[in-house]
Amino acid sequence: MTDPLPSTPAYAPHAPAVARTSAALAARPDLVVCHECDAVHERIELARGTIARCQRCNALLGRGHVIGTEKLLAFAVASLLLILIGNSAPIVTLDFQGVVSQATLPQAIEATWAAGQPFVAVLTAATALVFPLVFTILRLYLLGSLVRGIVPRGFVPAMHMLVFVTRWGMPEVFMLGTLVAVVRCASLTSATPGIGLFAYGAVTLLITAITAAGTHTLWKRSGEIGGMA
Amino acid sequence: MSDAAVHTGSQMKLYGCPTCGRVSQLLRPPAGDAPLLCPRCATPLHHRRPRSLQRTWAYLIAASILYIPANLLPIMSTSNVFEGETLHTILGGIEELRHGGDWMLALIVFIASIAVPLLKIGALLVLAITAQRRSRWKQVERAQLYRMIEAVGHWSMLDVFVVVLLVGTIRFGALGGVMPEPGLLAFGAVVVLTMLAAGSFDPRLIWPEEEDKDRPS
Repeated sequence: MTDPLPSTPAYAPHAPAVARTSAALAARPDLVVCHECDAVHERIELARGTIARCQRCNALLGRGHVIGTEKLLAFAVASLLLILIGNSAPIVTLDFQGVVSQATLPQAIEATWAAGQPFVAVLTAATALVFPLVFTILRLYLLGSLVRGIVPRGFVPAMHMLVFVTRWGMPEVFMLGTLVAVVRCASLTSATPGIGLFAYGAVTLLITAITAAGTHTLWKRSGEIGGMA
Repeated sequence: MSDAAVHTGSQMKLYGCPTCGRVSQLLRPPAGDAPLLCPRCATPLHHRRPRSLQRTWAYLIAASILYIPANLLPIMSTSNVFEGETLHTILGGIEELRHGGDWMLALIVFIASIAVPLLKIGALLVLAITAQRRSRWKQVERAQLYRMIEAVGHWSMLDVFVVVLLVGTIRFGALGGVMPEPGLLAFGAVVVLTMLAAGSFDPRLIWPEEEDKDRPS
């Protein structure tokens, strides 16, 4: 064996699925099928900053990306740090005639659970905290390996999970919610926005930028690496 | 663009993977009734998602029923030493913001909590009924409507987050506090159910094809 990296076998995403079906499915990388109306188009190269839309139903078919993989990786690192800060620092501090009260997101979730609304607490924890966190960690894991030329272990299940947490994570809605909450508190007593609020604001921008980059590049990159191995 | 000029995946035996986007051409059908799986990511491939309309209807009906308690029941209660306990509904909360002079914020909460859920339920009704009738009425506009409800759907969660944050922050013991109330549970469920309904709807049903009649899946 002359393989310089015997400890990290490249995961070949093609093998298991083919074994499970007897049907012959040929790849047609020259075509795009609209996911919203099933119309078939020829694939074209998109210049940076341009988008492609379906000729029949106008659905967004693809983007020529402005943000490169390395930058996305940097965004994901920043996002992880800011999520940690955003969840450990208070979102708002209230001063009611000298009595100070403040809460972080985990504390607010815990208080909702303790107040007899476990479903609402779990829903909030999932959409505002866990899914954005998992989204960030998955992006770090996937991008971190792909830029080094490795298809990471469990690439396909990780990609499936990424689709799910992208759909159900709502950091931007939570961000707006914190602003509304601060204003409503301020109508009762003196309220000061905390570090947590600003950290979440930054997380929202970063996650939106990463989400806009889509997942196509990740699949393409893994295919290129897998094909070479 | 006229429909005749469009070739579709189902005519050309092409499958676009909903997860990874790989385009697969079926050269040989599977033996028996083995499902077609994407060779790259193992997602099941269909020209029309199975039981899409049944699922959409189920989630939509559940969401419509829960919409009533979500708006009638209080979503939170506030208490303080001077006024005792006060119950707040969603509309009441908007009214408080408006009275407080926060027009902009009252409008945002109104859009997120009242307009968006109503719009979603109405739009999904239109989409499900027209798809069921295999209608060719205003297809591009209906496709646009579908994209819109997919894009704005999760913004209704706004009020849930606001109440959770108020419950966590306003804790002054005997001096005052905020508690979540059952309406919040119903409201959160409406948001999740309408998102599930929109996610179950297969937008390709907006574009019916002749052979769909024989092949309902």
